[in-house]
Amino acid sequence: MVVLVIALALLFDFTNGFHDTANAMATPIATGALKPKVAVAIAAVLNLVGAFISTEVARTISGGLIREGENGIQITPVMIFAGLIGAIVWNLVTWLLGLPSSSSHALFGGLIGAAIVGAGFGAIDGGVLLSKIVLPAVLAPVTAGLISFLATRIAYAVTKKKQRGGFRYGQIFTSSLVSLAHGTNDAQKTMGVITLTLIAAGFQDTGSGPAFWVILVCAIAIALGTYSGGWRIIRTMGKGLTEIEPAQGFAAEAATTATILASSHLGFALSTTQVSSGSVIGTGIGRKGASVRWRTAGRIALGWLITIPAASLVGALASWVALLGVAGIVVDAVAAAVVITGIFVYSRRSRVDARNVHSEPTVFVRPKKRKRPKNREEGRR
Amino acid sequence: MIDWAGFLVVLLIALVAACAIVLLFSLGLRWWGSGRRGARVAGIAMFVLCGLAVLFGVYLVIPSLH
Repeated sequence: MVVLVIALALLFDFTNGFHDTANAMATPIATGALKPKVAVAIAAVLNLVGAFISTEVARTISGGLIREGENGIQITPVMIFAGLIGAIVWNLVTWLLGLPSSSSHALFGGLIGAAIVGAGFGAIDGGVLLSKIVLPAVLAPVTAGLISFLATRIAYAVTKKKQRGGFRYGQIFTSSLVSLAHGTNDAQKTMGVITLTLIAAGFQDTGSGPAFWVILVCAIAIALGTYSGGWRIIRTMGKGLTEIEPAQGFAAEAATTATILASSHLGFALSTTQVSSGSVIGTGIGRKGASVRWRTAGRIALGWLITIPAASLVGALASWVALLGVAGIVVDAVAAAVVITGIFVYSRRSRVDARNVHSEPTVFVRPKKRKRPKNREEGRR
Repeated sequence: MIDWAGFLVVLLIALVAACAIVLLFSLGLRWWGSGRRGARVAGIAMFVLCGLAVLFGVYLVIPSLH
């Protein structure tokens, strides 16, 4: 059981990596500041480094959403197992659709579903759900969008047209900083999950930090995930929302970086994914002559809305089966493997990778079903 | 329930920081591209300030430094 949970946790870490490459690297790839392969390699290395420089593991992986501890419920390895299945499946579905969505939310969602099945609705703290998930999900993109809008205006007001190519060099630094910040946060989640499982199973003392091998494998898993590049999501963020020029890319990344660093150091947590999507939209509004594809933006927002319910549904289902006993767990593991393989096989029907990441995502959600003329603009305002 | 004061602080600081960095880098590009010698020096100074801001960001990201 413990081995199974660790394997799933690492798989989640991997999906987390390729889901979030886009946050840092979509804009430099879109503006040509970095070659696609180089960009994901930089992001991977910085995620690896980031995972090592900060091992401050959250004590509660659910961040207070689930009433853990003395007066609450005990989170068991079975719940974590079911929750992880929910999170991984949802991460893969959103990746297939090219939607940037928060991996943390997928993890929370999966765990919530598993906890509800395991311990009833009383296990969930609705107030925390609202103040930590729902409201920040509205505030994060609006905040980043506003900042990015103003920054874009400044960049275009100050520079002359022929000078704006220079922003490409600046982009390299700002996007690297986003990657590093990502590595220091996101690998920690998986380390927390594995460490808590080890503690629950009695392999490790209560209250002790993650073992070195845990840090190492988590760092490698997230770096590999990042390097494999979620090209679908990169394409949505870099090309699907709006056309991005180097000055916009720089402004958007400066806004993303500033917002994330401010939020993580002043204690008002905002999701990286939501911040960087907001920045891209903000910069699209900020440049004269640019248009934002609101239909794509709407789809992304819809994805955020249903991330938690959807992941928790899968988590609940997996948990319900797993509670039947050993046979249930085996059924879960096999079903998860089938679904994951199925999504990968399906995704190969319309490949998106480093070579065609610059093409317009005209067939955005339904790959191959409908044939559309190649350069049709989608929902232009 | 929700920490509005905390949110406002984050909003303001991120706003000022992002705009300042973009302004510095933009001024750097403008003066660097102007061709005059004095302006070039000023442009370089702007890039240096930007670099310092990025280094401060790295400092914030790495917990063992503070």
